[in-house]
Amino acid sequence: MKVEYVNSFYKATKDVLQLLVDIEPQRGELKVIEDLVSNKDANVELGVVGDLKGTILFSFPKNMTLEMVKIMSGMEMDKIDNFASSALGEVANIIGGNALTLLSKHNYTCDIAPPQIFIGEYKPLHAGNGKALLLPILTPIGEFDISIHLKE
Amino acid sequence: MMWKDKYKIGVDLIDQQHKELFKRVSDFTQTIRNEENWEAKLDKVKETMSFMKDYVIVHFNEEEVYQEQINYPELEEHKHAHAKFKEGIDNYVKIFEEEGFNEEKIQEFGGKLMAWLIMHVGKMDQKIGEYVKSKGGQI
Repeated sequence: MKVEYVNSFYKATKDVLQLLVDIEPQRGELKVIEDLVSNKDANVELGVVGDLKGTILFSFPKNMTLEMVKIMSGMEMDKIDNFASSALGEVANIIGGNALTLLSKHNYTCDIAPPQIFIGEYKPLHAGNGKALLLPILTPIGEFDISIHLKE
Repeated sequence: MMWKDKYKIGVDLIDQQHKELFKRVSDFTQTIRNEENWEAKLDKVKETMSFMKDYVIVHFNEEEVYQEQINYPELEEHKHAHAKFKEGIDNYVKIFEEEGFNEEKIQEFGGKLMAWLIMHVGKMDQKIGEYVKSKGGQI
């Protein structure tokens, strides 16, 4: 997996979260993983098709999800309801869209499928024979993961 | 309140309309998320949907006219983003027409609408303000 993939997702995440949630994210240490697993509460899966194929998984802890939606909406949030999960799915969708725009500058033309949102348990997705990368993102309101599984 | 001053672009007419849009979307999200019985707030939901649908078109049209007046170089790209935004709203309007005002779908729509609006005004529209400034202020 090439460094452009990770950098494009990181840059898109940074830009979108700065704008939507007023936070400055930092990247943690990149890890190689076998499967896309998550023990976090809110997971958004984006399917990628085109020159690159695979799955991107965003995994957010509950408190961070609620805080993000609170910052966007200006409303108190105490549970991840349909409103909050939909907003979170859209944030991930926008990050994915922006990352693909950045990847298109490296001559990869791709599309993303509508986000699939899983609140609570996420059934692990096996990365198959190719490995996946997990990029932890550190923010003042919590830490979340982006798992990237893309093949050319 | 959803509105933040960082969303201003520095063009009064557009900023006023954006504030109105944010206010309406903010009211809408408060309505759909309050504890009141769903049936009791349905009228407010319908009224806001109908206002949003019309006002978004009015605002987008006025913004496009303004962009033409100032010879904004990214007009076509911006029109495309407006068309996609309207398409997003229309898809839900269609769902509500066909399936009724289902609470789950309305909540889903509210979450997306909020993210779309902040992203569009906070990012794409900012470029209009930057262009106006680069030309020496108000045009």
